[in-house]
Amino acid sequence: MSEGRGISVLSEWESKVLLGDVPRPAEVLTRTKEEAVAFACELGRPVVAKASGMAHKSERGAVRLDADVAAVWEELAAMGDGTVLVAEMVRGELELIAGGLRDPQFGPVTSLGLGGIAAEVLGDVVFLLAPRLPGELERAIEELRCAPLLRGYRGRPPVDLAELGRILDAIGSLLERDPDVVEVDCNPIAVCEGRLLVLDALVVRRPG
Amino acid sequence: MEAIFQPHSVAVYGASRDPSKLGHVLLRNLLEGGFGGQVTAVNPGLGTVLGLPTVPRLSAPADLALVSVPAPAAEAAIADAARAGCRAAIVLASGFGETGPEGKAAEQRLAAIARGAGMRLVGPNCMGVVSRLDGGWLNGSYFWRLPELAGGVSMVSQSGAFGGMFFAEARRRQLGVARFLSVGNCADVTEADALEWLAGDPVTTVVGVFAEAFSDGRRFVEAANRCPQPVVVLKAGKGAAGARAAASHTGSLAGSHGAVRAALRRAGAVEAQTSIEFFDALQALAAQPPAPPSLAILTISGGPSVLAADAAERVGLALPAPAEATVRRLRELTPSFAATGNPIDLTPQCPISSFGPAVQAVFDDAAFGGVVVINCGLDAAAFGEAVAAAHRRTGKPVIAFCLEVPAVEAALARAGIPLLPGPERAVTAFAALVGR
Repeated sequence: MSEGRGISVLSEWESKVLLGDVPRPAEVLTRTKEEAVAFACELGRPVVAKASGMAHKSERGAVRLDADVAAVWEELAAMGDGTVLVAEMVRGELELIAGGLRDPQFGPVTSLGLGGIAAEVLGDVVFLLAPRLPGELERAIEELRCAPLLRGYRGRPPVDLAELGRILDAIGSLLERDPDVVEVDCNPIAVCEGRLLVLDALVVRRPG
Repeated sequence: MEAIFQPHSVAVYGASRDPSKLGHVLLRNLLEGGFGGQVTAVNPGLGTVLGLPTVPRLSAPADLALVSVPAPAAEAAIADAARAGCRAAIVLASGFGETGPEGKAAEQRLAAIARGAGMRLVGPNCMGVVSRLDGGWLNGSYFWRLPELAGGVSMVSQSGAFGGMFFAEARRRQLGVARFLSVGNCADVTEADALEWLAGDPVTTVVGVFAEAFSDGRRFVEAANRCPQPVVVLKAGKGAAGARAAASHTGSLAGSHGAVRAALRRAGAVEAQTSIEFFDALQALAAQPPAPPSLAILTISGGPSVLAADAAERVGLALPAPAEATVRRLRELTPSFAATGNPIDLTPQCPISSFGPAVQAVFDDAAFGGVVVINCGLDAAAFGEAVAAAHRRTGKPVIAFCLEVPAVEAALARAGIPLLPGPERAVTAFAALVGR
């Protein structure tokens, strides 16, 4: 999937493969309806089905929650690149965004903040130089207005900082090992009982 | 780098007889500043300038070459300085990288000539250097007004004109200056190089940095992090999103400042948001030691001290309650309506003989890493003397906001306590002392 201005935006699946070891829900990129139905049956829990290889999936109606996979597969496949991503449906108590970019002055940096609509409206995001040094993540979080949410509120468990650090490290290391990667989004990251799951991801490359 | 800040000999290229020419101003500044070393005026086809015989080219090396010629002639001047064996050169001339690709190429040729000869090159497009030497000033700049006081404040600025603000503020605030370098287009010497040198400078006690863009970002972060003196940074140009693809949320959220904040956090630098905060921080750090992030707000003027308390909360400083013993002591010494929380308000009715022991009790309380003093309108000299004495005795940092209290102001100033014109500014300047 590509855009103008000499950059290309990788599909969610390609982006997650490039990011490597980040925590994800049970999910599979399906090439046939049968494959998708088999995965959903085996999982035995509600799933979300997403068209693959298109930007702004939610806005364009290409994400189906609690999906009847057999009923929607062909329509979603036709909207995107002919494959459909089927994933366990996850509802978190909180959504975060993590990302990364190549800064012209300081090189690879990663970012962290409140996800979903809040990311755009409130802009509550902090940045860290990559690779991060010990203690920097904790200090950066203190600069977030949403820091109390991450520490656990109203009896919720605190966000697993070690896991959060591993997601930032995966983003930072992708920027460092591939000079053509210019931007990375992990958005949203669902927080479920303090554990983290990267629900969607996006990698922007310039043609290598 | 030593040759830039502490040269024994200086050559001025473009020394002109015409007082309206910058080359004339530069030579005059150098001579009038009190530079004690050898000065050579380089200009083909002139007899003498300002009483100095001119030479068409250098026949012996100078430590530092100052180049104030039109851009097209700069290359020949740098080639001559390099051939003669100068250790460093500052190209003050404009018309290089800031004008476009051709200027950029010309500037890279200057850097290449210098590098080939092992000569450091500052600029082009800069205002030069000012540095305190034994007995006088090296004024290798276009600034005709030198600092009034020598001291520990050093400044690295990309912008030349911001240097003018620096010198004006230093005079107004009576700050003692050590070094100033304008690095301009950074064809060779960057802010990071200057900072690395200043880190080893025994005279420099605090460094201010003004930058629009960091030419060598990661090395600047390393240099600031290793710098034993506090570093205050004012970064201009925070708005523009820069040349990002911004196809991602992260890209559109970054602006250009996200990475700068990340960098300054790692650098352990004090980040000033405005030029006022920048000079306030330099003033505080020039006079006061590092502080823990907890303070007492001590006053005999109620209202403004509450504004100071609000500011402390905003900038993340703790206002702990005084220890029980301190409260008991204050109760003995002050009127019953005095406030013994934090802010601590001794009130205008406090007996004069009580100021000394009451102030002493506050300074001696281990809960407070330092004190912000607020005093408006009631010129209780004994209060000022008590603060000055307690500051000297305990060494705890103090910043003050005083209004129309000349005796108190004089007592605090004599003790080296910075006076800032507002309760919030006094607190924000205190926060700069907390630093890393």
